[in-house]
Amino acid sequence: MTEPATDAPYIALKAVQKGFKIGAEAVPIFTALDLTIPRGDFVAIMGPSGSGKSTLLNMLAGIDSPDGGELRIGSARLDRMGEGARSSWRAHSMGIVFQFYNLLPMLTAAENVELPLLLKPLAARDRRARVEKVLDLVGLSGRGGQYPALMSGGEQQRVGIARAIVSDPALLLCDEPTGDLDRKSAGGVLEMLRFLNRKLGKTIVMVTHDPRAASCARRTLHLDKGQFLEERRAA
Amino acid sequence: MGYLGLARRNAWRKPLRTALLMVCVAIAFLIYGLTASFQHGSQGAAGASEDLLGVMSAAGRGQSLPMAYLPRLEAAPGVAAVAWMARLRGFAGAESNVIAVSAADPERLAAVNGPELGLAPGLMAALTGARDRVLVGHALAEAQGWAPGQRITVTAFDTPTAAGSRDWQFEIAGIFEGAGPSTDTYFVIARYDYVNALRARGSDSVDAFVVRPQEGVSSGELARSIDALFANSAAPTRTQTEKQFLEAFLRQFADVGLIINLVVGADFVTLLMIVINTLVLAVRERRFEIGVLKTLGFSKRRILALVLAETLFIFAVGGGIGLALAKGATLLAGASLGLVLAPLILGKAIALIVSLGAVSGLIPAISAIRSPVITALRTR
Repeated sequence: MTEPATDAPYIALKAVQKGFKIGAEAVPIFTALDLTIPRGDFVAIMGPSGSGKSTLLNMLAGIDSPDGGELRIGSARLDRMGEGARSSWRAHSMGIVFQFYNLLPMLTAAENVELPLLLKPLAARDRRARVEKVLDLVGLSGRGGQYPALMSGGEQQRVGIARAIVSDPALLLCDEPTGDLDRKSAGGVLEMLRFLNRKLGKTIVMVTHDPRAASCARRTLHLDKGQFLEERRAA
Repeated sequence: MGYLGLARRNAWRKPLRTALLMVCVAIAFLIYGLTASFQHGSQGAAGASEDLLGVMSAAGRGQSLPMAYLPRLEAAPGVAAVAWMARLRGFAGAESNVIAVSAADPERLAAVNGPELGLAPGLMAALTGARDRVLVGHALAEAQGWAPGQRITVTAFDTPTAAGSRDWQFEIAGIFEGAGPSTDTYFVIARYDYVNALRARGSDSVDAFVVRPQEGVSSGELARSIDALFANSAAPTRTQTEKQFLEAFLRQFADVGLIINLVVGADFVTLLMIVINTLVLAVRERRFEIGVLKTLGFSKRRILALVLAETLFIFAVGGGIGLALAKGATLLAGASLGLVLAPLILGKAIALIVSLGAVSGLIPAISAIRSPVITALRTR
């Protein structure tokens, strides 16, 4: 399991720049974004559409890279890594939970959870043991043989969470994890994330529009026009 | 589920499409298996010997050579043994049921051609028991339903007996099997002394001498020296290996090898176009999922391997089915077609399965790895 929270910055962005080109026009998203998140923190990022939340999450996930500045997670300098190195980093250091679960439909729940473990040198028996353990952890014990199409949204998101944590990454990134769920299912998912942060020490960065989801985090950052406007700490 | 299991599951996500692709591959390899089996079989030249030499008249296949050439051939340097044969072509029952009879001296034939034809001492002893006895090849006996002890009549097309009849009576003394499955056994071996004594014309002539070179003697050089020996005689010779002879014979009708290569080539090019096109579409449909896999940490190399494994799986199953069907067809077709699916053909087919699978998978695989993760995730 990961280490408990400390004050040392685990995620550090210094003067990060990012922009897009629409035709010939350059559209800046971040001109000099700074952010530090200590290990074991649970940060919710809120903001209106187009504020740069998803772009920030994509950069933290290493699936997009900054145009300038420094982006460090743990000891990894993501801004200096090539695509291959970032793939390897994602496989070992980060788990991601998507809004629409993004499970592969032709695989069972257990096989979906097993996917990240295929990137590790583990025997099939060890992989199966880990999958069973995390499915148990997210409350889906005995449901591993079911296909995603036969599961509710809440259950699919639990499978998504299990897939994100099965390789025991220190960092969990969540992109609107309750955005497609009813209130009850959303509550269950948020409770799960809180458990992963409080009990297992995962550092969680969650992008959300939902104030209720944000209230589960230790800190909430409001992002607008490429800048953090305010920070609210949980009581 | 292992890595290959993931590739297999990807392939089977649209079972009908995958099954149809496999059928395409299976048909392509069925065609390949059958054409290559024909080329390699007893109707083709692949099973013919490259050592045995046939000495025939340079004037053409229909012209005979005098028996008087025998002592000069036997005395030629590099010759280990010489046999001879006279051809008698005819039919049994219906005219379309063509039978080839090779009349030879039993002892000589056993010395020169015995190992290739599988002429065991017991068979040769049976043949020498009476002058009208013959040995029938396994393929021909199976096709005609003939058995040892049976009397048969071959009606010759152009070799009448001295009595004016075209019917030749023989008694089957035994069945010869041939050295291997690709040996031509679709003919009858008769005794030369019987045929020579009874035929109305062409007495003491042969259609060909069969020469076995001594150990270490080049068959090509020996062929040239034999032809030089008779270059200025009344009947110059043309000496070829058995394989060259058969290839030249088959080319009289058409260049079978070229036709087969063109058919198989067109077959595989069509197959490649169908499979590549389908797989490119299949991978494009899955761009989003490939984006998810990349987000989970699957590198470009792993995605490439995944798509290639999927195409190889389709080719392995389809190709395996095609080759199994080809094998079944060669067995069902019986000996008359002389199809032989030899291990060499299977080895080539497996190499083709792997290389075509890799080539077919490469274009969709490259398309899959080129798509940036962010773009792929937006394609939902």
